[in-house]
Amino acid sequence: MEQVIANGLFTGAQYALIALGLTLIFGLMNVLNFAHGQMFVLGALFAYTIFNHIVELGWFLGMTPWLANILTFMVALVATLVFLAFVGALFERFLFRTVIKRSSRDESTMLLAAATAFLLDALLPMKHVFGELSHSLPALIEGSFSIEQPWFSDTPFYMPYSKVFIGGLALFLIAGFMAFMQYTKPGRAMRALAQDKIAAQLMGVHVDRFTMLGFALGAMLAGGIGALIVTITNIGPTAGSSFSIKAFIMVMIGGAGVVGGAIAGGFVLGMMESIVPTLLAPYDLANLSDLIIFAALMIFLSFRPQGLMGKPWG
Amino acid sequence: MKVKPHTESGLKTWVGLAALVLAMGLFYFGIPALIAQNPEVYSRYYTTLSGIALLSMASAGVWLTFYIGRINIGQGVFCLFGAYISGILVVNYGMNFWYSAIWAGVICSLLSFLIGLPILRLRGVYFAMVTLISTQVATLVVQNLAITKQGRSFALPPPAALTLPGTDIVVIPAFTLEGAAVGFYFAAITLMILTFLGLYRLVNSRIGQLCKSLQQNEELASSLGVNIVWLRLVAYAISCFVGGVAGAFYGAQQANLNVSLFTVQDSVNFLLYCFMGGLNYVVGPLIGTITLRLGWDQLSPTGEYQLAIYALALIILMFILPNGLMSLVEEGKKWFIRPNHRQKLQSMSAQKPVKTVAKSAAKKRPKTAAKTAPKSNKGRK
Amino acid sequence: MTRILDFSNVELYYDHVHALRGVSIHVEQGETVALIGANGAGKSSILRAITGIRPITSGEINYNGKRINGMKACDIVPLGLSMVPEGRRVFPFMSVRDNLMMGAFTRHSKKEIRETLDMVLGRFPRLKERYHQPAGTMSGGEQQMLVIGRALMSRPKMLLLDEPSLGIAPKLIQDIARSIVAINRDEKVSVLLVEQNSRMALKISHRAYALTTGTIALSGKSADLAKDERVQKLYLGGEV
Repeated sequence: MEQVIANGLFTGAQYALIALGLTLIFGLMNVLNFAHGQMFVLGALFAYTIFNHIVELGWFLGMTPWLANILTFMVALVATLVFLAFVGALFERFLFRTVIKRSSRDESTMLLAAATAFLLDALLPMKHVFGELSHSLPALIEGSFSIEQPWFSDTPFYMPYSKVFIGGLALFLIAGFMAFMQYTKPGRAMRALAQDKIAAQLMGVHVDRFTMLGFALGAMLAGGIGALIVTITNIGPTAGSSFSIKAFIMVMIGGAGVVGGAIAGGFVLGMMESIVPTLLAPYDLANLSDLIIFAALMIFLSFRPQGLMGKPWG
Repeated sequence: MKVKPHTESGLKTWVGLAALVLAMGLFYFGIPALIAQNPEVYSRYYTTLSGIALLSMASAGVWLTFYIGRINIGQGVFCLFGAYISGILVVNYGMNFWYSAIWAGVICSLLSFLIGLPILRLRGVYFAMVTLISTQVATLVVQNLAITKQGRSFALPPPAALTLPGTDIVVIPAFTLEGAAVGFYFAAITLMILTFLGLYRLVNSRIGQLCKSLQQNEELASSLGVNIVWLRLVAYAISCFVGGVAGAFYGAQQANLNVSLFTVQDSVNFLLYCFMGGLNYVVGPLIGTITLRLGWDQLSPTGEYQLAIYALALIILMFILPNGLMSLVEEGKKWFIRPNHRQKLQSMSAQKPVKTVAKSAAKKRPKTAAKTAPKSNKGRK
Repeated sequence: MTRILDFSNVELYYDHVHALRGVSIHVEQGETVALIGANGAGKSSILRAITGIRPITSGEINYNGKRINGMKACDIVPLGLSMVPEGRRVFPFMSVRDNLMMGAFTRHSKKEIRETLDMVLGRFPRLKERYHQPAGTMSGGEQQMLVIGRALMSRPKMLLLDEPSLGIAPKLIQDIARSIVAINRDEKVSVLLVEQNSRMALKISHRAYALTTGTIALSGKSADLAKDERVQKLYLGGEV
C-alpha cells in the first residue's frame, strides 16, 4: 500500500509539472498546445545528450561517481530549462503570435499547434538530431531506501534514492513556479493577463511580452520535467503525443487555465495510474486499468466540465 | 453589413451547380480516363482517392459539429467503431457488407446519442478535450475486446453482391479482389458526393439556420424557443452516422482491420482538414482533405522527411491563409466588391468635418449645436 | 489652466459602424468633465480611443502635449492616464491586494507604492476589510471601489471612468460619486467621466458634453446643462 501511494505521489509530481506548463499556456493564450508532449520529449533527450557529453568531465576531476552524476545532472537540467525556454519563446514569437493576429478564429491556433507537434515528431527522431532510439540516464544515485515491514502491507517498501532525489526536485520546481506566479510582479502580471486581457493592458502590462514569457515558462516546465523523467524511464523521440494527451487530461481534471487545478489534476492522475492497476490485479483485469481510468475521467468531465477547481465557461 | 449585389444568390446557385457538374464529371469520368492512360503506374490512385473521399466524409461530420459550435476531436471513435461494427457483422454474422455499412452508421448514431447527451452540454475546449479522450477510450476498448480480436489483424472479405431484397436482381455486383480498388473508388466518390450534397441541403435548410444561430449564441437561440438540446443531438448524430459509414467503407477497402486504423492522430487530422479547407464553406472539409491528404501522399518518396515537410507546409499555409483555403474565395469576392464599398466609406467621411461645431458654442447656450447633424447621419445609414 | 487632454476631430469605426463622427473634446488640468448620452452614442468609444484599446481612423489625441493616438494601451498608462473600464473588470481570482498591486504595475519604488496603497485603503476602508479575499467574490459596489482604487495605484494625473454607477446599489452610487469628487479635489486628478446616470454626472462634474450618435450634441458647464430644458428632457428623464 505504501508502495502504491509513494509511486502515485512520485508520478503525480511529474505529471503536475507537465500539466502546469500546459495550463499556463492555455490560460494566457487560449492555445491548446498539442506540442507540449513533444517539448517534454525534447527536454528529455536534450538533457540526456548534455549529460553524456559532460559527465566524464566530473569523473576526470576525480569526483565520486554519485557526486559527479548529480552535479552533471544539475548542469544538464539548467541547460535544458534555458534551452526549452528559448525554444518556447521562439515558438510564441514567430509562430503563434503571427497566426493569432492574422486569423479570424481562435481555434486556428489548434491547427498550428498540431502542425508544430508534427514537426517536432518528425525532427526529433532524425539521424542528426536524436536518432530513433529511446534513451534513459543511469540511476544518479545507487541504492535505495527500504522498509522491511511497512505498516499496512506485507511486501517490503522500496524506493530508490535517485527517485527520491528526482521527486524532491520536481516538488521544488512546483513550489518555485507557484511562488513565482503568486509573489512576483511578472507572475502577477501573467495571472492578470489570463483573467482579463483588456484590464491587464489598462494596467500597463505588455501583452506580447508576457505572453511570450508565459509560453517560454510553459515550455521550460515541460522540458525540465522531461529532464527529470529521463533519469527514471526510457524516453523515445516519438513519445510526445501520448504525453500531450495525458497532459490534456490532467489539465481537464483540475480545470483548464487554473494553476492549482493543474497540480491537483497531475496528482489525481498519478495516483489513479498507481492505484487502479493494483486494485484490479486480483481480478486479472490490470490491463483494463487505462480504459477504466480514461472512461471514468470522461464521465467525470461530462458532469463536471469545469474540473475540480476550474471556472465554468466555454 | 456586407454589400451584396442582388444577383449574388442566383449567381451562387449557378456557379454551384456548374461546379457540381464539373466535379462529378471529373470524378466519374475524368479521373478514370486519366488513370486508364497508364494503368500500371496510376491505378494506385484509385485506392488513394477513395481513401480521400471517405476521409473527407468523416471530416464533413466534424465540420457539422463545428457548425453547431463544437470542436470535435472524436470522429476517429465513430470511424473506428463503424469499421469494426461492419466487419463484425460481415465476418461473424454473415451480413451483406452494404447493409452492414448502413448498420454501422445507425449504431454509431445511436451511440452518439448516449455519449452526446452528457457531453454536448460542454463547450469550447472542454468538448474538444472530452472527445479527444474518447478517441483514446475507443482505442483501448478495441484493444481489450475479444470480438475485435484485441485490435490485431481482423481480415475482411471483399463485399458480396447487393441484390434487390427478395429478388435476384443485382444492384451492385460482388467485388473481385482485382476489381475491388475500382469498385471502392466509385462507391466512395458516390458516398462523398451524396454526403456533401446532403450537408449543403442541411445547412441551407431551416435546421441549418438554427444550427448557425447556435454557433453564434446559444443562450439567445434557446430563448427564441429553439430546442437546442435536441438540435445539437441530431446534428451530432448525423455527424457520427457519416463517420460510421465512412469508417465501415474505409475498413472494407483496407480488407484488414486493426486498432491503428483510426487513432487520436486521425481524429486530430479530421479537424485539420476542416480548418485547412475553411470552416465557412460546406466544401471546406473536402478541399482540405484533398489538399492535405494528396499532398501527404505525394510526399511519400521523401521518406523520413515526409512528416517534416508536411508539417512545415502546414505551418506555411497557416501563415499565408490562416482562415483556410476557402478564404481565398472570400478574398476574391472582396476584391470584386471593394471598389463599391470603398467609395461608400469615402462619401461618408468626406462630409464629417463640417459638423464639429459643438465645442465653440459651448459656454452659455449649449443648445445651438444639437440640431441637424445626427439626423442627416441617420438618414444616410 | 492648461489642457491635459485634447481630443480633436476623431473618427472611429467598429468594422462598418461609424462610432465617432469627428468628435472634439478637451479636459483642463484639475477638471472633472462628464460625457453623457444614451446607449451607443459613442461615450465609451471616446474612452477606448484615448486608452488605445481601439485605433482611431482619423483625428488627433493629445495628452499633456504628447500625441498618444497610435500608442499601445500598455504604453499609455505610464504617462499618468488611468482607466476604470466599464463593467468593473476586476481580476476575479486574484485577491484585493493583488488587484491593487496590479494597478501599480508600471511603478517601481516599493516605498511610494506602499504610500499610495495606504492612501487608497484610507479612501476605501471596505477594501481593507476584504484585503485577502478574491475580488470576484465581492459585491458590485465593492468591486467598483476596487477598480477605482486600482486605477489610483498608478498615481495617475488623469482618471478615465467608464460607467462607474452601472449595476450598483443606489446607496453605493452616492458613495462612489462622493469619492470621485474627493479624488478630483484631494489628489489633483483630472477626471473624464462617462455616465448614463446623467443626473449624478452633471452634479459632480465641472463641464459636460452630451453625445448623440457619435457627435457632440451639447456642451457647456454642468450646472448650465443641468438646467437646460433639452438636457432635462433627453437625459434627465423630465416629462416629454
